[in-house]
Amino acid sequence: MSEEERDEQAEAPAETPEPVADETTEATSGEMVEATEEAPEEAAGAAESSADEETPDSSAAEGTSAGSEAADPSSDAGLYPQTEPVPRPEVSVEGEPGSRQRWIELATSADHKDIGRILIGTAVGSLFLAAVLLVLLRLQLAVPENGLLPPVTFDRLLSLYGTTAIFFFALPLFFGLFYHLVPLMIGSRGTALPRLGQLGMWLVLLGGVLLYSTILYTPPEAGINPLPPLSELAFTSNNGIDVWIASVGLATLGYLLITIDLLVTIRHLRAPGMAWRRTPVMVWSAAIASWLFAVIGPIFLAAVTMLMIDRRLGGGFFTGGAGGAPLLWQHFSYIFFAGTYALVAISALGIATEVIQTFTGRRLPDRKAIIGSLIAIAALGTLAWAQNMYTAPIPDGLRYFAMLMAVALIVPFGLVYFVLIRTVSRADFNMRAPLRYAMGALSFGSVGLLVELSQSTIAVGTQLQQTYDAWAATHFALIGFALFGGLAGLSYWYPKMTGRNLNEDRARKSFWLVVVGAMIAIVPLFAAGVEGQVTDAFRFPAGEGLSGWNLIASIGTLVLFLGLVLTIGNLVRSRVEEPAAPPDPWLGETLEWLALSPPPAHNFDELPDVRSDVPMTDVREILGRLDREQTEETRETETVA
Amino acid sequence: MAPPVVLARRKSLPLAAAVLGTVAALLLAADPASALSLNPEAADPGIAKGNTLHTIMFVIVVLAIIAVNLAIFRAVRPRHRYVEVEESGRPARTGRVVALLSLLAIGVFVVATIYSSASREVPLSTASVEGAREDGSIEITATGQQWLWRFGYPNGAFGYHRLVVPQGVTVSLELVSSDVIHGWNVPSLTGKAQAVPGQTNRISFRADEQGTFRGWASVLSGQGYADMESVVEVVEPDEYLRYIRALKRDVLEAQDIVERELRTQAQEAMDQ
Repeated sequence: MSEEERDEQAEAPAETPEPVADETTEATSGEMVEATEEAPEEAAGAAESSADEETPDSSAAEGTSAGSEAADPSSDAGLYPQTEPVPRPEVSVEGEPGSRQRWIELATSADHKDIGRILIGTAVGSLFLAAVLLVLLRLQLAVPENGLLPPVTFDRLLSLYGTTAIFFFALPLFFGLFYHLVPLMIGSRGTALPRLGQLGMWLVLLGGVLLYSTILYTPPEAGINPLPPLSELAFTSNNGIDVWIASVGLATLGYLLITIDLLVTIRHLRAPGMAWRRTPVMVWSAAIASWLFAVIGPIFLAAVTMLMIDRRLGGGFFTGGAGGAPLLWQHFSYIFFAGTYALVAISALGIATEVIQTFTGRRLPDRKAIIGSLIAIAALGTLAWAQNMYTAPIPDGLRYFAMLMAVALIVPFGLVYFVLIRTVSRADFNMRAPLRYAMGALSFGSVGLLVELSQSTIAVGTQLQQTYDAWAATHFALIGFALFGGLAGLSYWYPKMTGRNLNEDRARKSFWLVVVGAMIAIVPLFAAGVEGQVTDAFRFPAGEGLSGWNLIASIGTLVLFLGLVLTIGNLVRSRVEEPAAPPDPWLGETLEWLALSPPPAHNFDELPDVRSDVPMTDVREILGRLDREQTEETRETETVA
Repeated sequence: MAPPVVLARRKSLPLAAAVLGTVAALLLAADPASALSLNPEAADPGIAKGNTLHTIMFVIVVLAIIAVNLAIFRAVRPRHRYVEVEESGRPARTGRVVALLSLLAIGVFVVATIYSSASREVPLSTASVEGAREDGSIEITATGQQWLWRFGYPNGAFGYHRLVVPQGVTVSLELVSSDVIHGWNVPSLTGKAQAVPGQTNRISFRADEQGTFRGWASVLSGQGYADMESVVEVVEPDEYLRYIRALKRDVLEAQDIVERELRTQAQEAMDQ
């Protein structure tokens, strides 16, 4: 079915409900002849049994949607059979089974949607906490030689900020989205190992609670990446680091379990007919991200365990003397952080791909290019870990290898950008919140990535590492990919997750506030970094030309904070205030739009049968035909009467 | 059937142009000299090479940022409703794009490798100084400790915070640490290098201009991290010799005083 036609079908009822609907009916009936002719080929291609090709009518139906519906085309039960509940025998022992409170349901549920919701809730809460911490850090750095926060407090806030942003914002946001949506998108009733995923989610949550419990005694204070020997017992004797290890260790273990569940689910529970070539790009990116985490997660888990052994069991893995190798930690942790960075980019690009396809009403011109690029980003991004270690005493060969990998990232990232921008350009689309967030992600991400390209060259990297230039590039990329990419996904699937629309007006305003705030907060820090301001210091010297940049950045951070609060507020308020959303508000092409909004516990009454890479177009076609038949029947009845 | 999406059109171009303009203005207003040149007062040939690479990369990156974002903004500008859309599924010329991007990547890598290896070359001394090794360089040990730097000179003298080096003589700086990892960082003269306990990191530099160069530690090393400053003074070779000799004298004197003190104390203890 062509673009225009789909559009027409979509718009027609809204503009002039009845007359145009008839036109659509006539227009599509011509199309149906073609569809009927094509269908047997499709069915044969999908290794369909020849029995289905008995009549053109039934084969066309077979070729496009669930079997039972097609078998009885006169039934107008529709593809949302949940709307007409089938009466079932009910056994009640004594009165009604007591319904439990919602929060108990949520807490004990092994339903992938509830687990995803909790993870996403964790991420949104952490976003607020991270924003508060960032404001505090920037207030301290607003003026030179500021004495607002003592150095220890600054280091603690810094450690909390970094850990929150990575482990409890970016990762749960994307894993939450994946966990919530992947089973729906592949047309499955749930995940393969729901209890494993549930355990993982609770471990992540426990890690977050542990991290913030340190506020009551001593938060970790060795920075975002606590390099030993500073994080060894000899130099940080309080138990903040121990709790940090437990916290990120539990979270990493939790994500690993979720990852395993996702991988098994994607491998085994795809709907009949959903071959890898028909699997949505978002599911591909979930699979790639999960594989990546399955590789880097255990490395980090090993590293924090070794650090714990060093601290509490008398080990000497990372100690300065006694045969320890402090650099080993840098290798382990940077493999993890570089991989996480790639993971965030892959997830965001996967989401952006779905959003762009839906809102432009187009398919990707080259799907394989995107998927191949995402795999390449995962591999190259992780292998470039040593670009964070140019200043460490490592062999020159490793430096050049890291630079080669980092520079080679131009190709996959450039290709993804090319394909996505090409899909959008000259398209006829609505600028709605998800598309706006997706394009914001691409824009901010491109700035961060390109500045990092410059820093990944050895001569420039040794100069700019550990300066605010690097900090700003990372933040640009993370605000792009983690924040906007995540928000693109949240706003796109908001109707599906909550059953309500996201407030469009507030989404637009808060988006621009975040954009402007982030620009003012980050761009000056590029300049401050080039002038040599080092990160992690609780104050900066006066008279080095840094004061102006830092003041602007601190003011911008307040704007950014306001924007983030409004964004979070919109996410929270829309759940209550907005009108109920239909099952398929965007005319998406992936199977989750077949389910109700929000989907019932079992997702689909009837497991969908996939016959093309645009299953929802097929579904709409069937629905249109059923509608038409019903209209004709009614008309006939009227004529007879 | 799902209700259709309500079509709304927004003109995002003026706003997009404004945002892009702000970025460009901020990037360019960032003191062109400092934005284009990493270290306008670079005093070491290697750092100067790094500077050149930074200028090249800065231009490439800014152009690429502008190009990519213009493409994004151009793409999201809503077009006429019923434009002739390209047939979806038409093969995109991704092969050509991959070839172009690969060429770009190879170009960047080659340029970066040339300049990076040049910036890491050990420069040759242009002046000579007493106490230099065969190749005309002198070796100075910088020991990082929480939260100051200790400099050990070839003649056995040592001092803290302030490093004095001769102009035109290659200095091989040996970085070690006695406790945690410290980041040696004097941007205009030596660049960054980590002092890792249990390992030796070596950077070579040749100061071509006299003057005082400041730097701040660049790896978080604890509470006093922000105060961990280092000052490098580049002086005439003769002045450098005078300085380290005086330093040695001071150190010996101080040692003598301490020794005498200790001996007196020991004597007193024995007497009692």
